[in-house]
Amino acid sequence: MARKAQRSAAPWIMRRTHAFGFVIGLLAILLLYILVISTVNNPEISNLPYYTFRTFARISATYLISLVTALFFGLLAATTKTGSMILVPLFDVLQSIPILGYFPAAIIFFISAFKGAEIGLELAAMLLLYTSMEWAIFFGVVGAVKNIPTNIIEAAKSFDLKGYGYIRHIVLPAIVPALISGSTLAWGDGWFFMIAAEYITYGGKTYSLSGLGSYLAKAAYEYGDTNLAIILLIIITVLVIYINFLTWHRLTERAGSGTYKPIFRTDWNKGLAGIRKVAHMPHIPRIHLSFGFRHTILSTSRRRIYSKLEKGMAVVTVVALIFFVVTVAKPGIPSLDEIKQSLLIPEMANLPFYTASTLTRLTVAYFISLSIALSMGILAAEKKGFAMIFYPIYDIGQSVPILALFPILFVSLSQIFGGRLGLEVTSLTMLVADMIWYLFLNIVTAVKTIPDEIREVSQLIGMKGLQRVRHIVLPAILPAVVTGSMLSWATGWNTVIFSEYMPYGSKVLWLPGLGSFLDKAALQEGNTILLGFLLLIMTALVIAVDRLIWRSLLRKAERYASEVM
Amino acid sequence: MKVLEVRNLSKAFPGERPIVALDDVSFEVGNDEFLCIVGPSGCGKSTLLRIVAGIEGVNSGEILFHEKPISGPNEKITMIFQHFGLLPWKTALENVKLPLEVHGIPKEGARKIAIEYLGKVGLGDFMDTYPHDLSGGMKQRVGIARALAMKPEILLMDEPFSSLDELTASTLRREVLRIWTDPNLPTNTFLMVSHNVSEAVFMADRVLVMSPRPGRVVEDVKVDIPRPRVEHTRDPKFFDIVEYIIQVIEKACGGKLPGCEEIGGK
Repeated sequence: MARKAQRSAAPWIMRRTHAFGFVIGLLAILLLYILVISTVNNPEISNLPYYTFRTFARISATYLISLVTALFFGLLAATTKTGSMILVPLFDVLQSIPILGYFPAAIIFFISAFKGAEIGLELAAMLLLYTSMEWAIFFGVVGAVKNIPTNIIEAAKSFDLKGYGYIRHIVLPAIVPALISGSTLAWGDGWFFMIAAEYITYGGKTYSLSGLGSYLAKAAYEYGDTNLAIILLIIITVLVIYINFLTWHRLTERAGSGTYKPIFRTDWNKGLAGIRKVAHMPHIPRIHLSFGFRHTILSTSRRRIYSKLEKGMAVVTVVALIFFVVTVAKPGIPSLDEIKQSLLIPEMANLPFYTASTLTRLTVAYFISLSIALSMGILAAEKKGFAMIFYPIYDIGQSVPILALFPILFVSLSQIFGGRLGLEVTSLTMLVADMIWYLFLNIVTAVKTIPDEIREVSQLIGMKGLQRVRHIVLPAILPAVVTGSMLSWATGWNTVIFSEYMPYGSKVLWLPGLGSFLDKAALQEGNTILLGFLLLIMTALVIAVDRLIWRSLLRKAERYASEVM
Repeated sequence: MKVLEVRNLSKAFPGERPIVALDDVSFEVGNDEFLCIVGPSGCGKSTLLRIVAGIEGVNSGEILFHEKPISGPNEKITMIFQHFGLLPWKTALENVKLPLEVHGIPKEGARKIAIEYLGKVGLGDFMDTYPHDLSGGMKQRVGIARALAMKPEILLMDEPFSSLDELTASTLRREVLRIWTDPNLPTNTFLMVSHNVSEAVFMADRVLVMSPRPGRVVEDVKVDIPRPRVEHTRDPKFFDIVEYIIQVIEKACGGKLPGCEEIGGK
């Protein structure tokens, strides 16, 4: 009896604190809005609630589309052989190329298709958001379905569970945690790319969609009002945290502690070994890790082994897709002369230099991120007190839409370093601010999931300080460091396109690099052939680094550490 | 002569609903003695072992080692783990060597000792193999070598055979007994936690029976079956003691079937 009472009491209390948080949060946000609207002096400030609604609706709609398509394609890929052969490698390549690079092409297409009408812009924005939201959910679904333990599948078979019953009782419960963690990620990414999606400069003209992101960009670039930009940034961060608190954290807690956990706990490792072609989630859920999502997160290491056929098909499909985008944007297939004319421009001579600059920038940003993330992660692992301070900061920090930081950062950094160097430092800071989270997330997760027995052994042996770090912590987190590096490097390529080319007020600030070259080709000159060419180069670079460096490192790192996980 | 004494030990895990794992536990372990602790799952026997190992704190009570209170890990008391506790990124040799080096034995010396002890457990040919490529039984042999190489006086074992198949487990049980009686090894006091009553009766001089949570010592059963026990596992006396201990556990569970008690702290 006592036990029963406690069981029903706990959710009730949780519901109550939750409702309390909901109301208090809503009141706080209302208060914040009233305060901001009544004190800030800006002609558009009274539109703030409307902008919030537009942005929210835009992200929600795109999220729903992503969810439905990811669910559809995910189930298709996970349950049918052909689906898996085509979709998984295709999506894997698509998500590892810098999708933002294709955005200019999409803008050109939609703006010309709808002759500059707002619906075209809206579709372009939604496409950009979609391309950042889709992958996490898709790979989450595929990974979860493929990782349903064999014994559960066998049990279902022995009870003759088929068709709808199988989906309803086995597949859906199994993918719920992945759906939630994928959704968290997608949702966060949506807010992250919102500014890029709502404020578009093309062909010397600025197109903006009503929304928080474009308002923030306008505040910084057109009104030159840094204070307003900071206030808007704070508002966006508060909104993101509030919504996360309301939805994902709650759902994560529930899924983590409730019905679905046993499925993921049972013989996880055996399930892994049994299925050779496990398509693991490529993105790491950016949920907070204290919610018992260990296995979903650990499934992120990309251990996929492609067959030659799959690789070939994926490459063909991607090339066809790129070709399609480029040619549709510029009607008719370009003649050889046109191609020559478009590519043989004087600036082409700078291509090697641009490539080297961008690679250097990314490498420097990566090593800065790595050293910060490693030292913080290890400190959090070794010192309880530090972890208590660090995790909340980490939680809030990763909700800040980093692209919005640019104007604010640049203004303050250019005062310290001067124009050109200031811009370089701003670009690096943005890259670090973006790249560091994947490293953090992986390292923190790995640190938290070091098995108890290993910790006990190190305690029993009496290892301390550096010895523990060297023999226990570092080897245990090594695979996670490599996975994190892989993801952070990939996301860095995305951000570089924005951090090298920034509209600032009436002029555009840019740093020599592949990213800015690409932006200039698309947005200033409308040179679609050059754009396509640069995209190919960038994609080739990204895939080459991924396959040659990260995947081979990952294989090495995982060889001996596979058992810890 | 007693080597280890546990005096009025109590331990609770804090939380929304604090869990009292151990309640006023006291017992002694003599020199050369093989003591086994059995009890239903969740009775705190593993916690008790971890407290003796010094990797878990206490709320009240004390541990006396040679009459002196100890707290924290002690190099004269080592432990082997249910899931072996090997570092996957180190070879068998490096796993055995690591604790020695941590305790200040120079590299070359540590290497020699590690090779010697791996040889003693029959793993001479697998020095440079990673745990991943060893079978369960071999992994536990590495665990045993690692614990013995420290030349401890007391060896703690936390369900050391329960993640092995029965054939491997039975071989390893006999080998552990051989190590216990080996005059060349300084380790001669063994404290083992198990939920397998026959295993406990087969190996131990004395079996402590613990109650379900909060764990208390409810019975101290002396096993006066001559050794080597392999020759006596079919004796009626062996079965009588096993049966008696099972009855004590069932009684301690208050008539509930063992295994139907509330498990975990959720």
